[in-house]
Amino acid sequence: MKSLRRDFSSDPSTANVTSKVFVRSTKSGKVQKIVRELYLRQDIPCSSRLCTICPTVAPKDANGNISPFVLSEVPAGTTAYPRGHYIIPDTNALLNGMDLFEHTGAFYDVIILQTVLEELKNQSLPLYNRLLALIKTDEKRFYLFFNEFRLETHVRRGQDESINDRNDRAVRTVAKWYMDHLCAVTKKGKKEKAIPAIVVITDDKENLRKAKEENVTALSLENYVSGLEESDKLLDMINESREAREAKEARGELFYPEYYSMSKMMTGLRAGNLHQGVFNVSPYNYLEGSIKVSAFDKPLIIMGRHNSNRAISGDSVVIEVLPKDQWKSPSTKIVEEEVVTKNDNPDAEDNEAVVTERERKALQDEVRQAHGKNLEGRPQPTAKVVGVVKRNWRQYVGTVDSSSAGSQTTGRRQQNVFVLPMDKKVPKIRVRTRQAADLLGQRILVTIDAWNRDSRYPTGHFIRSLGELETKEAETEALLLEWDVQYKPFPKSVLDCLPSEGHDWRVPESKDNIGWNGRRDLRDLLICSIDPPGCQDIDDALHARQLPNGNFEVGVHIADVSHFVKPNNAMDLEASVRGTTVYLVDKRIDMLPHLLGTDLCSLKPYVERYAFSVLWEMTPNAEVVSADFTKSVIRSREAFSYEQAQLRIDDPSKTDDLTQSMRTLLNFSKILRQKRMDAGALNLASPEVRIEADNDEVGDPLADVKTKAMLATNSLVEEFMLHANITVASKIYSTFPQTAMLRRHATPPPQNFEDLINQLTKKRNMRLDVSSSGALADSLDRCIDTGNPFFNTLVRILATRCMTSAEYFSAGAHAESEFRHYGLASPIYTHFTSPIRRYADLLVHRQLASAINYEGEDGRATIEGSITRNRLEDICRNINYRHRNAQYAGRASIEYYVGQALKARGEKLAADGVDSGIEEDAYIMRVFENGVVVFVPRFGIEGVVRLEDFVLPGDSASRSVEERRELVPRRESDFDPEEYTLKVTEKGQEQSERAMLVELFQRVKVNVSSVKEESGRGVGKRRVRILILKGRK
Amino acid sequence: MTAQRQASSASQIPHLSPAELSYLYTSLSLPGTPIRPDGRSPTQFRPLSAETDILPGTNGSARVGFADGTQAIVGVKAEVERTVLGVQALSQAEQQEYAEGNEGADGGAGAKQGSTSGQGSWVQMCIEIPGFRDDDALPVFLSEMMREPLVESVSGGEKDGDGDEGGMVGGLKGRLVINRRWHWRLYIDVLLLSQPLSYPLPLLSLTTHLALLATKLPKLKSKGEEDPFFDDDWNAAEYLYPRVRTTRASIPGSIHKVRPPVTLLVISVAENIVFDPSREEIAVADTVLAISITYDTGSNCLKLLSIRTVDPPSRLTQPSVPNSENVATLGSTAAAEASAIINPSTGEEEVSGVWRPRRGGVKRATIARMVKMVLEKGGVGEEVLDGLEGVEVG
Repeated sequence: MKSLRRDFSSDPSTANVTSKVFVRSTKSGKVQKIVRELYLRQDIPCSSRLCTICPTVAPKDANGNISPFVLSEVPAGTTAYPRGHYIIPDTNALLNGMDLFEHTGAFYDVIILQTVLEELKNQSLPLYNRLLALIKTDEKRFYLFFNEFRLETHVRRGQDESINDRNDRAVRTVAKWYMDHLCAVTKKGKKEKAIPAIVVITDDKENLRKAKEENVTALSLENYVSGLEESDKLLDMINESREAREAKEARGELFYPEYYSMSKMMTGLRAGNLHQGVFNVSPYNYLEGSIKVSAFDKPLIIMGRHNSNRAISGDSVVIEVLPKDQWKSPSTKIVEEEVVTKNDNPDAEDNEAVVTERERKALQDEVRQAHGKNLEGRPQPTAKVVGVVKRNWRQYVGTVDSSSAGSQTTGRRQQNVFVLPMDKKVPKIRVRTRQAADLLGQRILVTIDAWNRDSRYPTGHFIRSLGELETKEAETEALLLEWDVQYKPFPKSVLDCLPSEGHDWRVPESKDNIGWNGRRDLRDLLICSIDPPGCQDIDDALHARQLPNGNFEVGVHIADVSHFVKPNNAMDLEASVRGTTVYLVDKRIDMLPHLLGTDLCSLKPYVERYAFSVLWEMTPNAEVVSADFTKSVIRSREAFSYEQAQLRIDDPSKTDDLTQSMRTLLNFSKILRQKRMDAGALNLASPEVRIEADNDEVGDPLADVKTKAMLATNSLVEEFMLHANITVASKIYSTFPQTAMLRRHATPPPQNFEDLINQLTKKRNMRLDVSSSGALADSLDRCIDTGNPFFNTLVRILATRCMTSAEYFSAGAHAESEFRHYGLASPIYTHFTSPIRRYADLLVHRQLASAINYEGEDGRATIEGSITRNRLEDICRNINYRHRNAQYAGRASIEYYVGQALKARGEKLAADGVDSGIEEDAYIMRVFENGVVVFVPRFGIEGVVRLEDFVLPGDSASRSVEERRELVPRRESDFDPEEYTLKVTEKGQEQSERAMLVELFQRVKVNVSSVKEESGRGVGKRRVRILILKGRK
Repeated sequence: MTAQRQASSASQIPHLSPAELSYLYTSLSLPGTPIRPDGRSPTQFRPLSAETDILPGTNGSARVGFADGTQAIVGVKAEVERTVLGVQALSQAEQQEYAEGNEGADGGAGAKQGSTSGQGSWVQMCIEIPGFRDDDALPVFLSEMMREPLVESVSGGEKDGDGDEGGMVGGLKGRLVINRRWHWRLYIDVLLLSQPLSYPLPLLSLTTHLALLATKLPKLKSKGEEDPFFDDDWNAAEYLYPRVRTTRASIPGSIHKVRPPVTLLVISVAENIVFDPSREEIAVADTVLAISITYDTGSNCLKLLSIRTVDPPSRLTQPSVPNSENVATLGSTAAAEASAIINPSTGEEEVSGVWRPRRGGVKRATIARMVKMVLEKGGVGEEVLDGLEGVEVG
């Protein structure tokens, strides 16, 4: 029997066709062999400006243009490569040194291979996205070379070649091709010496060796960087994990349990033995975390370092529930990492255990607590982390722990230091640096590279310094970085989308102009706007007038942002990424460029502006007869601040039409509000203060800190905005049942309120009915302590914290019954009224325009509202996240401002004598075993008061931080978790006159001051210190 | 037409006259040295060309073409599927799983015990022949004839002393087990490209054999009773029929220790036994047998898996009429012609030169001889399997 096999080599067409074969596992468990054909081409340009051939063959777009060439003809040289060089990094170089590649001082003219990019995508999505951003920017001159598609650089995998070897070979092949190619194409005309060197950067020893054999210049990342200027600084930016791994492999002492394999986790998740959720660290106890998983109503507790097993707050992890004998109650103790692990040495790894003696002691107390019989102390299910699905590591802002830097900070020796992140939930990070001395007292940005089983703390590396601690620039940037706010100026591509007229843009005069298409002329209506003082981005304006039939026409007019921001252009994409405008005390980070936000879109008084109007016909009893939506042109008559509007309404001498219409509006708003309250809307409270920073230097800086006053005019605007939002929500939902952009506030599960209900019952004998929002609103109204006017607000603040946060969603994502907005007691809701500062509103504008068949200037506005559900859900996810962060950033900014104001005040007073702080009323929000959390309404801040900060009778309040610290060992406490009381005594002195007893909800006198740590860990760190002066005896 | 096609289970009957049939039969039944129409020796196969891995999208594929122009393509696809367990087995499995979870141990010895037996239904075979519907008798009969030895052959059993390397515990069925809860399902699609000139069984069987040899399954990365999780590198995929490094010098590279079975078509004509019959030869065969064999790894010799008889198409041919009975020639025939000959194989009375349709029936000794010729060392079976091994796989 004979057998033959066809020979493929003779087929000429096979040379430029090849295929890529891989196995794809789908979510449903299918495993497929995937074969993709690759057609190799020869017109992919090298993109070097030196090249004379590639521009002639490069593929052209529809207009006959080729994409501009990226790599410079005179690339930067180094001492080793005086003629300049192009860099080709391999995947590991990017994994280890992405921060270097982003650095502005070096790494220009980089060729990123498609092979490398794809490999990076598989290994780290965040790094991949950062690399893509780098390729997009022009200034760093990164070129993405599609080497796999070019005939000369495509590499076929050998018979027994591993993927890594093949990819390394691909990198070398490209390097060689670039060398030959540049040689060949520049010979004519240009001088030979002008050809830049091609430098491969790889840390793989085998690759380096083979490169040498093949005559390709290749260097390890470290070697390359050492040849650059400022190499010390740059070397610090290399990922630490690799080095650490190599150095420690031999030692092999492992502190943490190993993670389960991916397949084991998947099996467990499917079978329901394991659960997945986001790991969250308690703000009061860094050793305790919680995870909300879908299988259980209440979050599971993760106690201690061993169980949290290297998870960092925010990571998506897989957990396993522990057996019942290991269940514990949530801690009643404030445990801060800084205090407990004060004396850790960053260099000493040998004798460190995962759980130090101190930590063990802290945990012991909790176990003891768990055996308590009361409701709070009842043991709750605990879990341990068995694997990490997705790390959510980011860059962290922090400070170098001065005590860890050691004494020999001189010289350029590399040493380990701890960096304390600003975010207390993140453990300290071990960083190797050569510039420890310089970094002390600086706000620095670091990143976590790895957390191996053999290391107690995560290792990371230094990225850059933001500046001196406590300088305004450094602290503001730190804040923006911590809350992931995009604060870079708008790129040119975004600014190009602005109208070319700039500030001279006007509403066209002739009504025949296309700008008037479909717009109603509402210029003769008496429209005015009411906003906080100094508001520049005026989103909304209102009017009301009586109709001949006795009813009233009420109009809400919103800035027509969607006229200026067209879908999917650079400005729209930027706005969708930013999601919202972020308001800091002294700074506003805009969502849209200045020109639009504060001028063209802003409904400024006395000028004509495009608007999107919602008009209702209402009976005098505020019953809505009909609602109408239209694009319009308006001219606002006046821009009031809340106070001005209030004064005008209250002034009986004013009887002009504008004032009358404002009175009508106010009247209607009261009726609307009452209706809303009757329907069960909640009146929530958050600890808000305003900072009016326009004061001059003289005077008390604290005078700028004001609690927000609620005027009737505030509520006037609010009611109509709510009403407009609800009306628009139903309209767009009827047109886009799947993709309407809506906002919901989920009904909080009753168990969220358990603790608060217990506390109220115990301390005040008050009942909180959480069966519905209406019942809750009523019972909240009844929570009044006659002797304590703030008590009601305090309960509202605490109740708000028990609820879930409102979220944007796409209508198709939930059943209609789930659309409900709990807080507002509205069956449907959206955001329509602030398109200048919220992206959601902009989308809603587009959807509403489509819903009313508004055609716009070019007839395309009718389709602008349509969006795929996937895209909308992506946007929702992003803006929910941005929205939350913007709130946190705003709060953090106020907190920082208050601290600075206290400091300024202290310094001013220090000239006269000693800084004695300022005395204020405060309320106890939470009681722990070793301290309490108080809320100071005057400044809107809450703070932890530890035992030593209780000023017992006979104590002096003006002790310095150090003096107070010495009190630590002498203080004793008696904590009653059932009564929520804490009795603080001096050790050995049981007399009651030297003791202080505080309890939950109690009003106390506190002394607030800003102090700077003078010694020990965290030198130079400033914090707001609160001393409790007087409590109930 | 359909009825006739249904009936002709072997293949279409060539349009031969009774005289031609009689001539063919006579030359094939020559004692000792039959003369075949194409001049082959009785055990000689027609030359064939073969190649594997011709369909990149499949897990394994092969094409075989005979010199007479008949060609077949076989593609093998594999899919992961959840094993449906009985209620009791399920709860038991869950219990074990739970215990495992607590101990944190991977599938122990207990798991292995339950996991070795697979089910025959995990292999599906579909044969497509031009002009036939997929529920026609021929494709259905053929596929069952090939599937049966495939799933039933348990070669390289547990008693194999050479160790596990290259062995296949539980045969193909056992190989398809991933763990207690998951298995591979195999789809074997057989496509005959040309008209079925001869009975296509040998061609399809050889092609299927080659395709299975070339079949690879993605490499399993998960362990024990975990949900399966595979390496995404196709180069790391493993052969369905494991290979071992060869110790024989004649064939380079690695060989399969365990191999899928092949089914050979053998006919007997009078005393003679003829392999790889052509269409015309089948038309006059006394018996047609499909013999499935495979290597028995234990004893390193061939093993008989199954024998099926195939309806000899000759029974449907038109008989010729002896001159003695022919009215037209009555009386004009020579007396010598009328002398009856007893057919040695069927024992029927025959008149030389006069074609009588075969009525089936074969002597046990003939079957024994057929089987022996296939199985004996250096026999036809070995020759075929070695020939197929020579086809470069991969």
